[in-house]
Amino acid sequence: MQNPMEQFTIRPILMGSRPMMHTHVGHHEFYFTNQAMWMCIVVGVASLFLTLAVARPQLVPGRMQSVAELAYEFVANMIRQAAGEDGMIFFPFVFTVFVFVLFSNFFGLIPGSFTVTSQIAVTFALACLVILTVIVTGFVVHGLGFLKLFVPHAPWYLLILLVPIELISFATRPISLSVRLFANMLAGHTMLKVFASFVIALGGATAVYLKLMSIAPMLLIVAITALELLVAFLQAYVFAILTCIYLNEALHLHEQH
Amino acid sequence: MPDPDELRALGQRLDKARRQSEPRRQEAPPSSAGIAGRFATELVVAVVVGGGLGWLLDRVLGTRPIFLVVMFMLGAAAGIRNVMRAAAETNARSAGGTPAISSDDEEI
Repeated sequence: MQNPMEQFTIRPILMGSRPMMHTHVGHHEFYFTNQAMWMCIVVGVASLFLTLAVARPQLVPGRMQSVAELAYEFVANMIRQAAGEDGMIFFPFVFTVFVFVLFSNFFGLIPGSFTVTSQIAVTFALACLVILTVIVTGFVVHGLGFLKLFVPHAPWYLLILLVPIELISFATRPISLSVRLFANMLAGHTMLKVFASFVIALGGATAVYLKLMSIAPMLLIVAITALELLVAFLQAYVFAILTCIYLNEALHLHEQH
Repeated sequence: MPDPDELRALGQRLDKARRQSEPRRQEAPPSSAGIAGRFATELVVAVVVGGGLGWLLDRVLGTRPIFLVVMFMLGAAAGIRNVMRAAAETNARSAGGTPAISSDDEEI
């Protein structure tokens, strides 16, 4: 049975027998890996698609333009709902994050491809970017008043306990944000590989009834692939909506908008 | 090219139709599996982060195991706080267009 985790290995892209674009700075080696390549592909295709979709805008949109407009309205509604009208200054940021995660997740479903978002390094970097944006926004908008986010309404003797709790709660955000996305992608892809290996193991058996039984995991793979399509979209959505919710807190602290 | 007045009228009609369908469209609740997954990660991650921070503090200050124990418990509390907040957000969203986050749910 092939190792189901093998699909997540990061390896340098070889050109002939030499690694492509191989450099080193000091003692650190840098390679152009399959991970980097797929990130370039994702960013390239997403940019190209969205640019082409609105290159020659029609009043009655064609198919491509419709998709682009739907994506715009989807994200715009999400921000308005979660962060209010003044959250719209973050539209470019949230839209970029959403489209990147969405395209990475979908590209990962192409057989033989590499899922960028199944790497904790990628999702954690994204989550850190989000949280840094939140912190910077908070301090820019509210100054030191942003720290009130960590002080709930409570008598002072409870605050000794509550402030550390709020601080830890805030510190968990980048981690829960990144772990959720990474774990979902990792689990889904591993599951697909495991069931695929069942098909091969059963199909290679000598007994005919075992050969016939290999249809069952095959059908399951079809079902799981459909489920993974849903998860791919849902995780991109969750990542984006949580970004909006955190930005809302930075913009409005505790008050309702 | 169609004439601008007609277009404006069409735009207004579209806006009206959209406003009417809006509340219904935004109702779509996230799947229960998604909600469960979110709550689980919030809870577990907070405990791990709390414990990890405690462990680090102990290492730096050489006070093993005081901070590990204290921060572990605070982490668990933060986890429950996270889940409460996540639940409040989910409720607010499924209650319809009202903005998310009843931020300070006036605890006790």
